[in-house]
Amino acid sequence: MDSGFDFDVIQRSLPYLFKEGMTFTVTLTLLAMTGGIVFGTLLAMMRLSSVKPVSVLAGGYVNLMRSIPLVLVIFWFFFLVPYIGAWILREPNPVRVGTFWSALITFTMFEAAYYCEIMRAGIQSIPRGQVWSGYALGLNYWQTMAQIVLPQAFRNMLPVLLTQTIILFQDTSLVYVISATDFLGAASKIANRDYRLVEMYTFVAVVYFVISYGLSVLVKHLQERVAVIK
Amino acid sequence: MISLKNVSKWYGGFKVLSGCTTEVKKGDVVVVCGPSGSGKSTLIKCVNGLEPFQQGEITVDGISVGDPKTDLPRLRSRIGMVFQNFELFPHMTVTSNLTLAQVKVLGRSLDQATSKGLGLLERVGLTAHKDKYPGQLSGGQQQRVAIARALAMDPIAMLFDEPTSALDPEMINEVLDVMVALAKEGMTMMVVTHEMGFARKVAHRVIFMDGGEIIEDAAKDEFFGKPRSERAQQFLSKILQH
Repeated sequence: MDSGFDFDVIQRSLPYLFKEGMTFTVTLTLLAMTGGIVFGTLLAMMRLSSVKPVSVLAGGYVNLMRSIPLVLVIFWFFFLVPYIGAWILREPNPVRVGTFWSALITFTMFEAAYYCEIMRAGIQSIPRGQVWSGYALGLNYWQTMAQIVLPQAFRNMLPVLLTQTIILFQDTSLVYVISATDFLGAASKIANRDYRLVEMYTFVAVVYFVISYGLSVLVKHLQERVAVIK
Repeated sequence: MISLKNVSKWYGGFKVLSGCTTEVKKGDVVVVCGPSGSGKSTLIKCVNGLEPFQQGEITVDGISVGDPKTDLPRLRSRIGMVFQNFELFPHMTVTSNLTLAQVKVLGRSLDQATSKGLGLLERVGLTAHKDKYPGQLSGGQQQRVAIARALAMDPIAMLFDEPTSALDPEMINEVLDVMVALAKEGMTMMVVTHEMGFARKVAHRVIFMDGGEIIEDAAKDEFFGKPRSERAQQFLSKILQH
């Protein structure tokens, strides 16, 4: 069968694709998820604050991030972060940040807006009486949040948070615009070098599908288990 | 111990509390009753500052609740509160529910807090359930745990906000028994409830509220004998006819 395709290229490039590319993608996803959830939870608490300037500030940030295309934010941060770094560190020249750190900062900041909305819904799903009973026992705002509200909100929202993380996992492929060697970026480099575009992009699509679909099935199971515990 | 002077509260333009004045002395058991929407739950939540109020003054053990300089968490930790819907923390075991605030607020060691908590759990007859989650207990059991949790903080007074309203009839007595025992030990208590049997048994005074106002504030016998106000008479005749 001579179709003109050479799927052998995949096997040859597997170590590079996974050791370099997938490692980058997974590391970026996990770190941006962690940072995004932490920052997003803080934003959610700010959005729900009764102090007007605080909630307006957080609301403005979330709406800004959700109204700009992700690719644009990636570009924007890639060129902007070195200057911000120079400004913070008081260096005369733009700081070299590197594609990974630039991407990590971008995704953390960007995804935080989405995690914020999830955590906000989660916090609001906790009955008022839970907060009251925490306060009545003498816990302060931070203790009530940390011990009572957030653990419950987090558990209620776990499936949605993980679903958002699957989206994040796919979105990280956009770092190709800053020439980062993520999974797609690595495949793209091989594809162009060996001129095997169809083979490589098909393979990349299959890998993304298998991982994303597999995770979403897991999330579904988890959702049922969390529901039972409640 | 607890004193309210001319307390008023508005939700927007709607006045929910209007010039409420009363006092609960050390060792007093005061029952607050009245039709729903009369502001009694709001009033009791004002006492530990869960609900803000715009006018008047509330002091607990001489400390002003409305004063912005008051350390509210510290004051609240000295006042126990029991809610209509129990409000145990569903993600923690019964034991953790009992120890959390003792450790975080009072700074007790976990061992100390656990032995204190388990002692109180035994008192409400639920030692066997110490490792369960609140969701595995009946309503009456949950409310008894909630009382034990409040007592674990060694409160100087206890507030009860309709503690039996969310319970099935057969579970009401197990909770009331605990409350009666507490009252007989001399605990200062302010209790919002419709349980007139409880009021008859242990209350020193009964406060009747309607439309955000304290209509009647009388000694128990006086209140059940012949209330001065017509509204209180109507209310009593409605809930006591069965």
